[in-house]
Amino acid sequence: MDFSSSVASQLHAGTILPEGIVIITLMTILVGDLIFGRSSSRWLPYVAMFGLFNSIVALFFQWNNPNAIAFLGSFSGDNLSIVFRGIVVLSAMVTIPMSIRYIQQSGTSLAEFIAIMLTATTGGMFLCGANELTMVFISLEMLSISSYLMTGYMKRDPRSNEAALKYLLIGAASSAIFLYGMSLLYGLSGGETNLNIIATKITAINGTQSLGLAISLVFIIAGIAFKISAVPFHQWTPDVYEGSPTPVVAFLSVGSKAAGFALAIRLLVTAFGSMTEQWHFIFTALAILSMVLGNVVALAQTSIKRMLAYSSIAQAGFVMIGLIAGTDNGYSSMIFYLFIYLFMNLGAFTCIILFSLRTGTDQISEYAGLYQKDPLLTLCLSICLLSLGGIPPMAGFFGKIYLFWAGWQAGLYGLVLLGLITSVISIYYYIRVVKMMVVKEPQEMSESVKNYPAINWKLAGMRPLQASLIFATVVTSLAGILSNPLFTLSANSVNSTPILRSAIITQEITQSTIQVSSVEDLIN
Amino acid sequence: MNLAEGVQIVSFGILAVMMIGTALGVVLLPKIVHSAFLLAGVFISISGLYILLNADFVAAAQILVYVGAVNVLILFAIMLVNKQEDYVELPGRTIRKVATGVVCFGLFALLGTMVLATPWSLSTTSPSVVDNTVIALGEHFFSDYLLPFELASVLLLMAMVGAIILARRDLIPESMADENTVTTGLTLPERPRELARLGSEEQDS
Amino acid sequence: MQLEYFLLLAAALFCIGIYGLITSRNAVRVLMSIELMLNAVNLNLVGFSNYLDPENIRGQVFTVFVITVAAAEAAVGLAIVLAIYRNRNTIDMEQFNLLKW
Repeated sequence: MDFSSSVASQLHAGTILPEGIVIITLMTILVGDLIFGRSSSRWLPYVAMFGLFNSIVALFFQWNNPNAIAFLGSFSGDNLSIVFRGIVVLSAMVTIPMSIRYIQQSGTSLAEFIAIMLTATTGGMFLCGANELTMVFISLEMLSISSYLMTGYMKRDPRSNEAALKYLLIGAASSAIFLYGMSLLYGLSGGETNLNIIATKITAINGTQSLGLAISLVFIIAGIAFKISAVPFHQWTPDVYEGSPTPVVAFLSVGSKAAGFALAIRLLVTAFGSMTEQWHFIFTALAILSMVLGNVVALAQTSIKRMLAYSSIAQAGFVMIGLIAGTDNGYSSMIFYLFIYLFMNLGAFTCIILFSLRTGTDQISEYAGLYQKDPLLTLCLSICLLSLGGIPPMAGFFGKIYLFWAGWQAGLYGLVLLGLITSVISIYYYIRVVKMMVVKEPQEMSESVKNYPAINWKLAGMRPLQASLIFATVVTSLAGILSNPLFTLSANSVNSTPILRSAIITQEITQSTIQVSSVEDLIN
Repeated sequence: MNLAEGVQIVSFGILAVMMIGTALGVVLLPKIVHSAFLLAGVFISISGLYILLNADFVAAAQILVYVGAVNVLILFAIMLVNKQEDYVELPGRTIRKVATGVVCFGLFALLGTMVLATPWSLSTTSPSVVDNTVIALGEHFFSDYLLPFELASVLLLMAMVGAIILARRDLIPESMADENTVTTGLTLPERPRELARLGSEEQDS
Repeated sequence: MQLEYFLLLAAALFCIGIYGLITSRNAVRVLMSIELMLNAVNLNLVGFSNYLDPENIRGQVFTVFVITVAAAEAAVGLAIVLAIYRNRNTIDMEQFNLLKW
């Protein structure tokens, strides 16, 4: 096989330029750290942010790429993947400034941490566009293994070790189960690994009813549900969130989850297009359990990191409504909500990092009376939490409304009503924190707040933290009112993605044939 | 049945019994060192099965990577954490084991039914159509599997760096010259829950 | 020789792996059980590759990737086990209760 003529011309390697930029940044950081030693931690985070920013710019220029299918079908750079890759990169870009101070204060090496985080970002980005079983597996493992490493990064802290061990064991087990499902898919399709070819072959060989296909679907959903921490597969989430360094939690709750949703859309819509009813059914069950359990258990938490862990489980439940709806609006509301969720959740985590850096605790009761000592932190945390709860003028409200509206349009009345009820419950625990901070009298102040250190933004690493705090808060409070560009972006990406187009059209055809047949029944 | 087929079936039988036996030993034996050596048995018998399936390169890779690297790594880990632990028997563990066993057997029954019920679309070509698997695999790695192949290099690099970071013995950094920087000595800045609770109790009394 | 024999064998190995995963108290043994599960998947893939896809042997390519990742995962897992042993002086899964399940 003559490589240069037959293969190289079909690779379209430019499609992975954004990922290439991230990998080059990663190498720069590793080598820079080796050459310049610990002193390099002053400028390395900015190199990383610059690289990630360039990657976003590159993604922007990839929009409507004519050669979307690259590397002979292993990678698909369609607009859907571009949007999800954007979410992953953006979450890493906002996470890095908030980790500088946190990591330095714990005495660990910053450069290595950033390198691992960039690997996770690369893995997440490739996962969003992976169009082939091998590619899905490798990028998923890249994301997972670097997440385990980041979780255990505070290696002298038994909580961090324990969280890493639990995460690794549960994660590796779930990826083995996922892999078993993929191997069945490979066998059932008669030896294909490309998702599009699998989709066509699998219906030709098996029809739509097959025990093998059902088992493979269940195993694959188990793997995906672990990544997005949907309820029966959520046990790791609170432990890992409590035990890991907070910036890692911020990244896991947004970047890793977004990549999981991208994987869910691509894998289920293409390879399991013939079993839409079945996977909608499973996801409905997962969504109901996640919304109920996530919101109810969050009420009882005393640590704010654990509370946000359960809240993130519940939020995943809300996002699943868009996936189950399976319409244009459903998918674009998912993307819209994930964008907003990125900013409000990362904003909330920035506030938690700031508070724990100054007081050394993450207990909710210790936030009492914070308003008197630090109005800025109180304001930002309140805005982000209220937005997570879905209080009207904030961005989170518009995101939730859009999701629920899309679900209602698709006829998921029960699910949407449950979503409304559980989001009312969720407002309670978000408001509880806000009330704790604002309403308390000076004598009710907690010990940590009484000993609150003087606010000094000039310490090393505090400026970027402040910048990312204000950026996230401003976006959270304004994105609701100025949501039009985001809205158009998510709608466009769904409208111009071939895999979703064909899926939606077939669904509409089946629906219309059902309607036609019922009309015929009426006539007869 | 000709001679070749007979040999194949006999060797399949031996390998299958060996694999299942050693695998059961891995999960059931009380001593972890015995399990680790039996794990090597599992890997070797699987490699034999690969040869029966005409996958010679994968069989070699299986022995080199699993037996040569993973298993040795596991043995080293066992030697490094070689404290003799007398596990305190917890009540209800036997019931849990039995229940798990039943569930796993049920899962096996389900998977077995699926395997037997599914009409696999067997290929009509003879399995020996590829006479040199190494060349065929290499062509795949540098054409349609190029991207995952390259990506695996980044994954391995980071797994290596990360494993070293976690396993090396770090000195707790001395507090830096700057007065304002407090380091917590490679631990989370948040206090553990028990300490936090103690702090609040002191303040109550 | 039939494909089904190999698939049944792989299914048995997978179930043994799950049993070990749930019942083991030693963290290293849990890692070994995960290796068993991954090997079951590999056996599946090579079996399919031989009987369904002999021209392209894509299953064997996939298996090589799985072997690579399994080795990386084992290395990271054992590093984490070492780190936790250094801090807690035990690798008993039942003792890891600092974080509530």
